[in-house]
Amino acid sequence: MTPAFLSIRGLRQTYGSFVAVDDVSLEIPEGEFLTFLGPSGSGKSTTLYALAGFNEPTSGDILLKGASILATPSHRRNIGMVFQRYTLFPHLNVRENVAFPLRVRGQAEPEIAARVSQMLALVQLEAFADRMPGNLSGGQQQRVALARALAYDPPVLLMDEPLSALDKKLREEIQIEIRRIHRETGVTILYVTHDQEEALRLSDRIAVFNRGRIEQVGSGRDLYHNPATRFVAGFIGDSNFLDTAEVAVSGDRGRVVFPDGTAMADLPVHRSAPGGGATAAQVMVRPQSLRLAATGLPVRVLDVTFLGDTSTVQFRTDWGQEIWMRAGAEEIAGLSPGASAQLGWAPGESHLFL
Amino acid sequence: MLLTYRHLGGLGVALWAVTILVCLFLLVPIVFIAALSFGSSQWLVFPPPSWTLRWYRELAADPRWLEAALTSAKVGLLSAALAVLLGLMASFALVRGRFRGRGLLKALFLTPMVLPVIVFAVAIYALFLRVGLNGTLVGFVLAHTVLAFPFAVIPIVNSLEGFDKSIEDAAVLCGASPLQAKLKITLPAIRIGLFSAAVFAFLISWDEVVVAIFMASPDLQTLPVRIWGALRQDLSPVIAAASTILVAFTLLVMAAAALLRRRISR
Repeated sequence: MTPAFLSIRGLRQTYGSFVAVDDVSLEIPEGEFLTFLGPSGSGKSTTLYALAGFNEPTSGDILLKGASILATPSHRRNIGMVFQRYTLFPHLNVRENVAFPLRVRGQAEPEIAARVSQMLALVQLEAFADRMPGNLSGGQQQRVALARALAYDPPVLLMDEPLSALDKKLREEIQIEIRRIHRETGVTILYVTHDQEEALRLSDRIAVFNRGRIEQVGSGRDLYHNPATRFVAGFIGDSNFLDTAEVAVSGDRGRVVFPDGTAMADLPVHRSAPGGGATAAQVMVRPQSLRLAATGLPVRVLDVTFLGDTSTVQFRTDWGQEIWMRAGAEEIAGLSPGASAQLGWAPGESHLFL
Repeated sequence: MLLTYRHLGGLGVALWAVTILVCLFLLVPIVFIAALSFGSSQWLVFPPPSWTLRWYRELAADPRWLEAALTSAKVGLLSAALAVLLGLMASFALVRGRFRGRGLLKALFLTPMVLPVIVFAVAIYALFLRVGLNGTLVGFVLAHTVLAFPFAVIPIVNSLEGFDKSIEDAAVLCGASPLQAKLKITLPAIRIGLFSAAVFAFLISWDEVVVAIFMASPDLQTLPVRIWGALRQDLSPVIAAASTILVAFTLLVMAAAALLRRRISR
């Protein structure tokens, strides 16, 4: 097999009996924006740090352009990184921060000056060149950090939750800027976050991490419409999980009977063994796939919440599970707490997890 | 807060009184010495019958005093440099190291601060007697380095704990070797801690007398040792003049340090 631009092969990282990263493999083409998405402790940062060279994998390999980088110390890997915490050098101004990687590479002064202004223009901070890091906002600091990490033209840029300390509005602003910079530079970016919206907004592909393993890799659309596992279904987008009483599978379609006796056929089947957690079969359906129907799953209305463009309705099934629906105001006009209703949905929009 | 100054009432007045008394207790002897050093009485009469600079002239005329001051400065600077260097390395181990007995090691590093000075003085005297370091500059500096060491470790450990290791990691990924990253990024970032360590260490050595008496020889005396020696021979106002200069220099170092620290941390 011809190796991809960057490939991670069978990466494993254990600390005593704790397995932080468990057999992670990825093939990453040049120029891709790939996000590691997962809850904290799922192994996404540990994988990133193995790329940076800050921890030595227990086993497995990382190849850049076909050659292993594991034997190369961090400072010779030529990899760029933006950290979760602010890491500008506190005693150097913005210009000198961006110039630092060029100075340690022994470049000539005129080259350095030109490259620094080019980088500051890229992150639109030319006017701040003489500021000290302490006099910059959090967002500005991370943009300088980005300029510094890109100054030496690294083949790969690692970003470890760089926006998690910023407020929501600023975060969205810088996300747009990161997308633009990715477009303009074409650098391969590996981005770590636990924020699914951020992942969906930025990435070409997303690798969903859970308990040290990758549950699924794919575009945001793939993960949303065709989640491979219960975990991915629950982590990307909003979801309802319904218990089942009986399941019959033929091919890739299944027929289920819910605990209250309601039957439903033609559900797409997913066999998710690893990291699933629950063992009983469940049906996943998105809140916006639910419709009020003449005949369907009998439920009772618990609560109706008006949210402007849409409203959400909380229901309870006869067997006591809560389920919620998102719909336009006119569709749910007649509903009030305590009322009975029937819920239906297109079988193809739900997923049966065995 | 239940116990605020406002609600103390009469106790507040008492608190003021105690504070003023403590300050007086600390300051009056120094003021007295300074006043006596300018007094004309040979017998240290207070208040002085008239004022003179005679004792300062005598002080300047006696080369042994100048020599003692130079020795003090030499020992102080060398001890401070050594204490900061060792303290820096120890601090990296204490802050970054993950090994058994780290807390114990830290406690050990701080023992010179709490160990009775006379015990330490006798111990190091006995040791140096065997290796022939008594009365040498090297011995003097080593002994004072031990005393100054904890005062160097404390500010360096504090500033290193306040320094985010990710910043050093960032420098390494930028292409700096781990040593380069420490020299070019970490040390400048914790320079206030290093500076405080150097000032503390110097001052510890500068006015130290107990260990110094054990380390000294007739040819190698620091200023406090010289004052102590002179005091035992005869009670002359020259000693008051020497003491005043010692205090004045200490104040000068502290004031300069405070000013410099403000400029560095700007």
